[in-house]
Amino acid sequence: MSDLLSSEIDLEKVLAGADEELAVRPDEPSLPPLEWAGKNLFGTGQGSIGAIVRGTFLTVIFAGLALLAYRAVLNFIFSENAGWDSVRINLRLLFTQAYPDENYTRVWVTVGVVAVLAGLSLGMTKVGPGFSFKRIATWLFSWGGLIVLGVLLREPSVLTDSNGETRFADSRGVELVRDTNNSLVYQNNDPAPSTGISALRENFGAAMGDRLGWWIIGLALLAIGAAIWFVLGDLRRRTTFVPAIPLALAGIGLLVSTTWWYRWGHYTFTEEGGFEYGPGELVATSTRIPWTIMFVLLVVAYLGGRLLARATASGPIRIGLSAAWLLAPFFTYYAILRGPIMDWAHVVSTDLPLWVLFAGLGGALLWLLTRPGLGEIGRILAVVVLAAAAFTWVGAFFGWFSMLQKVRLSVLFLGLTALLAPNFIGEARQRMKLVVGWVGFITIFHLLVTLINTASSIETPSEDFAGGFMVTIYVALFTMLFSFPLGVLLALARTSRMPLFRVMATVYIEAFRGVPLITMLFFFTVFVNIFLPGSMELSLMAAVTIAFVLFSAAYLAENVRGGMQAIRRGQYEASDALGLTTVQRTGFIVLPQALRVSIPPLVGQTIATFKETSLLAIVGVFDFLRMARDVVPAQTEFLGTRKPGLLFISAVYFIGAYAMSKYSQRLEKKLGVGER
Amino acid sequence: MSDTAQETLVTTASQRPPFYRDATVVKWIAQVATLVVVLFALIFLALQAGDNVSAKGIKTGFDFLDVDPGINLNGTIDNDPDTGGRALWAGMVNTLRLSIGGIVAATLLGILVGVTRLSKNWMASKVASVFIEYMRNIPLLVHIILFFAIMQTAPSFSDDVGPLNGWVHFSNKGVSVPRVFQADGFYQWLTFLLIGAVVGNLVRRRQQRVQDETGATTYPLGSLVAVIAVFGVIGWFLHPLFGWLDGVFSTIAEAVDKIPQAAMQIALTVLAVVLAVNWIRRFLNSRRTPAGLAKLTDDDWFRMIFAGVGAAIAAAVIWVVWPGGSSWLINSTRDLFEVASDKFGAGRDSWQNDRPLGAARPDFAEGRFANPGSAGLNFSAGFAAVFFGIVLYTAAFIAEIVRGGILAVPKGQTEAAQAIGLRRATMLRRVILPQAFRVSLPPLGNQYLNLTKNTSLAIAVGASELVQVGQTIGNQTGKNLEVFAIWMLFYLACSLTISVVVNFFNVRLAIVER
Repeated sequence: MSDLLSSEIDLEKVLAGADEELAVRPDEPSLPPLEWAGKNLFGTGQGSIGAIVRGTFLTVIFAGLALLAYRAVLNFIFSENAGWDSVRINLRLLFTQAYPDENYTRVWVTVGVVAVLAGLSLGMTKVGPGFSFKRIATWLFSWGGLIVLGVLLREPSVLTDSNGETRFADSRGVELVRDTNNSLVYQNNDPAPSTGISALRENFGAAMGDRLGWWIIGLALLAIGAAIWFVLGDLRRRTTFVPAIPLALAGIGLLVSTTWWYRWGHYTFTEEGGFEYGPGELVATSTRIPWTIMFVLLVVAYLGGRLLARATASGPIRIGLSAAWLLAPFFTYYAILRGPIMDWAHVVSTDLPLWVLFAGLGGALLWLLTRPGLGEIGRILAVVVLAAAAFTWVGAFFGWFSMLQKVRLSVLFLGLTALLAPNFIGEARQRMKLVVGWVGFITIFHLLVTLINTASSIETPSEDFAGGFMVTIYVALFTMLFSFPLGVLLALARTSRMPLFRVMATVYIEAFRGVPLITMLFFFTVFVNIFLPGSMELSLMAAVTIAFVLFSAAYLAENVRGGMQAIRRGQYEASDALGLTTVQRTGFIVLPQALRVSIPPLVGQTIATFKETSLLAIVGVFDFLRMARDVVPAQTEFLGTRKPGLLFISAVYFIGAYAMSKYSQRLEKKLGVGER
Repeated sequence: MSDTAQETLVTTASQRPPFYRDATVVKWIAQVATLVVVLFALIFLALQAGDNVSAKGIKTGFDFLDVDPGINLNGTIDNDPDTGGRALWAGMVNTLRLSIGGIVAATLLGILVGVTRLSKNWMASKVASVFIEYMRNIPLLVHIILFFAIMQTAPSFSDDVGPLNGWVHFSNKGVSVPRVFQADGFYQWLTFLLIGAVVGNLVRRRQQRVQDETGATTYPLGSLVAVIAVFGVIGWFLHPLFGWLDGVFSTIAEAVDKIPQAAMQIALTVLAVVLAVNWIRRFLNSRRTPAGLAKLTDDDWFRMIFAGVGAAIAAAVIWVVWPGGSSWLINSTRDLFEVASDKFGAGRDSWQNDRPLGAARPDFAEGRFANPGSAGLNFSAGFAAVFFGIVLYTAAFIAEIVRGGILAVPKGQTEAAQAIGLRRATMLRRVILPQAFRVSLPPLGNQYLNLTKNTSLAIAVGASELVQVGQTIGNQTGKNLEVFAIWMLFYLACSLTISVVVNFFNVRLAIVER
């Protein structure tokens, strides 16, 4: 492990300014605390009284605002009847809805797949040097300070009893009442009346005793921070970094370890309508062991990833990993979470032969078509295949003959790929690329069609077999995966010099961007069945995913178009001078550059989609927000308790979106957008 | 074989390529084929919809606009609408209220937060950035529902609920603040202000010219404000002087009413044709080089034909598809002027008849939460949650845009301003902010569009606006498609309006390159 740690600290990378902002900038000379406070809080050092008055005024105003807000939040979080039990007990419901207990292992397998992929990716990415001790010390110090401040700030809790009357309790939970002077006293008038700071002064011992845990944590963080700051002070050189990923892993490990001493979600509802502590009968529905396994998987995958990255060339592994990430949503959703009931007879009799046919014959056809010196025959053949594909559709429309949808689509794809073939004419290696690509594509495509068409064995109360946070994540993932190609196509069409394509793309993009997402969701969930033939019906999940894909594609197209406009004219002229075809120019010159420029807005669009999935709650999908807004408050134990759940899901959304936006900022810096 | 290939290559080099190699032909074939497929799919879906609708026995059509929908709204101009059209109109008014109020409030708050985030003061900038990160990393819908939940657990509604007793109320029923309303004579007074603005603008331009030519320090903006203020003060007392305007407006309304429908149709057709011809002429001019007309690509031809087809379609709509449109236009113009004449008419019923403006405290008639507009300004809980939700959320984005805009001003500009000895305030006002504004205007326009569309989230908390009203009506009458069409038209119109306004300023602010 120490070997790995030290290998993270790469002086050359640090000096080259690979990633971390601290490495890029030379350390600013740090001011002594008092001087820093004077300069940044009270406007000293500018030599004018006005600056001092202004600075102090601003500090007082904003510090007051911050303290008030902090106190309000604390008072809610720690108030005795905030109802946090409603979150703690319903964690499983919030994340996976009523996914059946006996199948719960599938959920953990899904999480495990993600953990392994994440560990491998983390192990293989070259992350910057990490965090300096100084920065870590500052973090620890400020968190410790915040916690201590919180313990000091907390006022007696405000309670509302079942009659709707307001009652008060001090920080120990002992009840206070209002006396004739309207000040708070203990019920038996024993201790002195107390509010706010005076309560704290008078009940200091009690408050300390009550919040002893928090005191210890806060003070310990302060002490560790101070120790790092002062003891390692002479190490404050640029090279003393703690690598980021092991630090993050340690953090996750700490979080996982809490499941061993805190009762997260370890509850089962009893017959009488209450709930009791207990892991349930199944290991899968508990938290300790599964999360520990996940953590171990993550760490092992991380170490494995590091070894792999060292042992072999990174190119193929990277491609494999990207492909695994792209496929993971489909695989986990359709193959694991749904528990598909495979019709093996059908698979053997139909699916496999079809796959062999398309992969083998199609691959051979493409191999032939990419032979040099074939002339026009290739194009003519491709057009013939396309015509055949079109004919199968027309035939199916008029009901002349029946044919599997999969076959029709496959023929169509084969024709389109054959049209692309002339771009790959060349040596055997070049030709092989197209064939391998085709075989890979048809494999995945056939697998997906089979999986999607296979019935699910999971029985849940609602139509969907995934709910809660799971549905949020999956809709966001599928949306991004499908809307990306569509968005790129639309962007190409909109910037094309072919007028009809341009008009169609413009109409589409502007129509979808002009209306609110919620109306589109209504359209696809409520009205869309009017447009479909009688036998067809869209499931709710499919309908909302289509709505999201179409909507998001319009926005993505605009982002990509922005990236295309950043490409200089010279690039087009140079590719024309080289004699590249339009397809080659688009695929090898224009799109790579355009996509690179538009990565930050694309990440922004991903964040937006992630947040917009909350709209699912309005159209009747049991997503994360719906759980917290409707389902949990409907339980008899927590009737009407909304705020804790909403705050909790806010925190989860925040973590997701904030992490992505930070990532996008780093990416932006790395790509040097706007600096070239 | 290669020899023959060579030969064919040589022989065909001088001729046109065969049609399947001719880029123009292939491109057109691809486009037309795609268009046909798309049209075919759309027609198929439309036919299917027709079948399904008739099978279910639903009648399509917009007649529901004239029928009593039997629904109750909350917090609108008309909570018990007589017709479906009226209900949708009430929803639209609420959407516009939310949007316009939201845009104004979010812009002000956003600029404040953005500037605070750039403050040298550590505390101020930290508080601002915590606010921004909190707001924009959590879905707007979660914010709205959380605000709604908080409001529902606020103190119960009563006359003396705080925080400012009698003036500002915050209760589980909503938020109430005092309201400024226009009383009798308001529009006459507004006319004074308008004249003041025109005169003030003349003064401003004159002062600006003097400053530009002689370098003397004048105060163009200051004098504009001063002139308007003087006119405002005069108008406050002399506003009855413009009472005769209602006669003018009613005369115009009568005159408009007498225009025959055919005349209107002819005028509109002429307008469409003139616009198309003008556009084509200007387009051709733009393609004209000193060496004569440049060779037109088929894309250029398409554009011109498209303009012509547009005019033809407009004519078809005017004469064949919707001949009633012209009389509708005449009627609404007449109505508009009648409303204007009504505004200027005397004897409007209000509390203070002698002042253009009055103010009213929130008033709880018979212990009930009043409708907005009857006394104070009352936001019902849902409305307040949506309003504050979209304002705070959009303000966070606007703050980032403002910050980005200010940071985008090159450092050399600041240094140059300091070098010529400008004071800090002047530097900000004259050098930095104008340039920052230019950078941030397009994304700002985008945020305004988003805000307008986000008002539709009010449906989650049951506040009446267009989408919520439309959804209710659609559920009751089964006219979901018609309602959807109205939604699309309305929001597209809003988007278009905002785009036009933002573009107008964008063009004016753009750098004039030489």
